[in-house]
Amino acid sequence: MATAPMRAIFNALSRAPSRQCTRLMSTTRGAQPARRPTVSCLPDTQIHQSLGQRRYKYKTVEEAKSRYRSGPFSWKAGILFIVAGAGLLWYFESEKERMRRQRIAEANKGVGTPKVGGAFELVDQDGKPFTEKNLKGKYSLVYFGFTHCPDICPEELDKMAKMFDLVQADCPGALVPVFVTCDPARDGPKELKEYLSEFHTGFVGLTGTFEQVKAMCKAYRVYFSTPSVVKPGQDYLVDHSIYFYLMDPQGDFVEALGRQHSPEQAARIIIQHVKDSKKP
Amino acid sequence: MGLFGFFGQSEADKRATEIRTGTVAPKRAERQRCWEARDGFFSCLDAHDIVDPVKEEKAVGRACAKENVKFEQDCAREWVTYFKKWRVQDIQKRARLEALQAQGATKMDVNSDFAARK
Repeated sequence: MATAPMRAIFNALSRAPSRQCTRLMSTTRGAQPARRPTVSCLPDTQIHQSLGQRRYKYKTVEEAKSRYRSGPFSWKAGILFIVAGAGLLWYFESEKERMRRQRIAEANKGVGTPKVGGAFELVDQDGKPFTEKNLKGKYSLVYFGFTHCPDICPEELDKMAKMFDLVQADCPGALVPVFVTCDPARDGPKELKEYLSEFHTGFVGLTGTFEQVKAMCKAYRVYFSTPSVVKPGQDYLVDHSIYFYLMDPQGDFVEALGRQHSPEQAARIIIQHVKDSKKP
Repeated sequence: MGLFGFFGQSEADKRATEIRTGTVAPKRAERQRCWEARDGFFSCLDAHDIVDPVKEEKAVGRACAKENVKFEQDCAREWVTYFKKWRVQDIQKRARLEALQAQGATKMDVNSDFAARK
């Protein structure tokens, strides 16, 4: 694409001397006598009249010499050069700008990082307040579930314990495993502590009021549903999303790890992220 | 009742009732016991070609009454309902996957099975 204007310039430059224009660049250098008119281009018809006239192209020896000194450059060629150069400059600048916009557009096309996570206010399994600030500075692996969960949560929590141990072995203290209950009505700090102690003593268990837990689930784009009408003492199950959310030390979402990852695969992914972040 | 022998029979009974009604969440050993009872019940259903134990209640009563009682004794009532529904869906899912595979579909690396059931 860019070669077309380039070729045009080269053509113009190589054609310039044959245009027989005698108004040379050197004419302004003061050596030119005042009797010369400012423009002394010969009409084209005259040029092709005869070879004899061609021999007298240069009126004086000085003119011939100056023509020799200045080479193929003339005012016209110079102007053409500047115009074409400016055109090319404009073209490249506008192209650069277009590419920049394209990059921004592509970055916002939904391929980038989804907005998962954010501020929350809950309590941990010891009843102490726990917010997103407690997770700053370390990677965190967030999982949502409930203690009455029949099959998937316990299995996933065992996986999470294995993952945590593997990450601890490689990058001690880099990761905080977090379990958030989706069933705050039944899972208080005491229940969480008892439940999680069977999986890993390093787990942080979080609960809160229904509203707080709902806000947390919303921030993490977690779907959960408790039955709308629950009689006191009635048993129920909670339907919820089953992903591990890996969050970076700034609290931004990194990656979701799912059932398809083995603990070893998941640990490797986490370790890679931790090590990436340590590179300058 | 090795785990609860210390508390005596009545304590263990109380705990079992609490688990069944969903008052307390089962612990690891109690979950394990429930899963074993479930697997025993399901393998009996498999042996007698019963897909849906809720719809085919009479067949269950005839063929797997003992396993059913144990299942309902060792698991929370909600879990029993859940596992029975899950069984129907799982069988349907397997059948669908087989049908897709027969049509030449490509299998994706996704796992939604119980680890205990192989």
